[in-house]
Amino acid sequence: MTVSKIVEIPIVAEIPVGPQHPAIHEPIMLKIYVEGEEVVKVEINTGYNHRGIEKLCEKNSFYKDIFIVSRVCGICNTVHGDCYVRAVEQILDIDPPRRAKYLRTLAMELERIHSHMIINAIMAEIIGYDTLFMLIMRDREMVMKAKEILTGGRVLADYMMVGGVRRDIDEVKRDKILSILDKIEPRVKYYMKLFEEDVTIEKRLRGIGRIKPDEVLKFSLVGPTARGSSIKTDARVEDKYDAYDEVPFNVIVRDEGDSWARMMVRWEETIESINMSRYILNHLPKDGNPVPDERRLPRRFPPGESFTRAEAPRGELTYYIKSDGKPNPYRVKIRTPSFNNIINSGFVYLGHTLADVPVILTSFDPCISCMERVIVIDLKNQTKKIVPFKYISLGRV
Amino acid sequence: MAKPKLLKEVLKNLFSKPATIQYPREPTPVEPDFRGRHYADLRKCIGCSLCAIECPAKAITMTKIPPQYAEKVKKNPRKIYPVVNYLKCIFCYRCVTVCPTQAYTTTNEYKLASFGKITSEELSLKTLAE
Repeated sequence: MTVSKIVEIPIVAEIPVGPQHPAIHEPIMLKIYVEGEEVVKVEINTGYNHRGIEKLCEKNSFYKDIFIVSRVCGICNTVHGDCYVRAVEQILDIDPPRRAKYLRTLAMELERIHSHMIINAIMAEIIGYDTLFMLIMRDREMVMKAKEILTGGRVLADYMMVGGVRRDIDEVKRDKILSILDKIEPRVKYYMKLFEEDVTIEKRLRGIGRIKPDEVLKFSLVGPTARGSSIKTDARVEDKYDAYDEVPFNVIVRDEGDSWARMMVRWEETIESINMSRYILNHLPKDGNPVPDERRLPRRFPPGESFTRAEAPRGELTYYIKSDGKPNPYRVKIRTPSFNNIINSGFVYLGHTLADVPVILTSFDPCISCMERVIVIDLKNQTKKIVPFKYISLGRV
Repeated sequence: MAKPKLLKEVLKNLFSKPATIQYPREPTPVEPDFRGRHYADLRKCIGCSLCAIECPAKAITMTKIPPQYAEKVKKNPRKIYPVVNYLKCIFCYRCVTVCPTQAYTTTNEYKLASFGKITSEELSLKTLAE
């Protein structure tokens, strides 16, 4: 018997990370195939947190949906509420007063500050820097207090209403929030400096998960992930919704494209948000009551459709609403930023070691409860051949 | 190579008071207009059930007023009142804002842990006993 063919099977181990994921405590499963220590393939499995919110919105009235869409994601709840409310306002053809728009912008910017702080804290925890995690979370609590003063809820604001916001702000509250912002700013600057200079952070984040600008466009990544790879995209600038046409701010862009750049974009955006919040509080217009009387809001909705987008802390968030003249919306379509950023990001892990996987995943700022939407996969052009071990042993490869 | 900048911060925190609050023993500071437990004032309630219709969490059920209280209610022709189930409630205060007579009393009470069902029944009926 002569040997005609040698089939070499590389030893590839399959390591499931999740669904009870250690990194961000949200249910996503990464099936990681490693050759030795190197990641060769990543399969991203989702669907552990699908709650059917879009269907629930169709079953409930337009006004109830404001509170339902706020529950899509806990951290970015005001931005979901704002995006939905603006879509409903488009259908109803209502324009809220400038003061309401400023207050909405303030709520969203406060939310951006605490969202960026929590993901940087989690990143510190992932790389084994638990002290930094505790310190950032302690200072984040001040922002939650500011949000509580403004909206009446520490996490879930329920602040947006068709035609305005649900509570106004007075001088006392304004001064309280301003003093909180003054306290946060040096802390954020300190953490930013720490992320720039610390040895551990630099060794774990620099050069890890590098994304080229053309890959960002090819896989349609959004938000700080795109801005960390020198793609200047920001829905706040492009759409100028709410008060973003009057509030001055810079779009932060970095060229490095690695995990470190993404985290630094978030820190710099936090400082921008603090400055924006301060500007809003000092320049609040007084053009009418921002709080609409909820008993007198229109009960009839004309048929029509609307499409709005907003810059959530994680990237571009879009809402599509269709009304057919009934009290309930005909369709509510939500596309959240994590949906793009996580499902399309399998290519980033390749070539890195297993220990870098949580770092890369966290640098995308995943929000799994946000992204559980229905996925449509085109199977027409995909061909896959699976050869069992039996045939390999028989030489039929 | 950069120096460990965090060391100074760590030492500073080592000798300062803890940031945590011993919660059940010490109260956590809440704003006076925090969205906490709310209940219907039955002297104002007209039993229109608008709050129950508008509740996004379906936490409000309209219940018959017990007969011993029924005579005290003047403006409530159907003799029903809203009972909020706090375990279902999401504290969005939609019921408070849609109420045509502004019958809801709002508090910043947030300590709602309980072994059994907790509702606004007792609090609402107490408003009639006064």
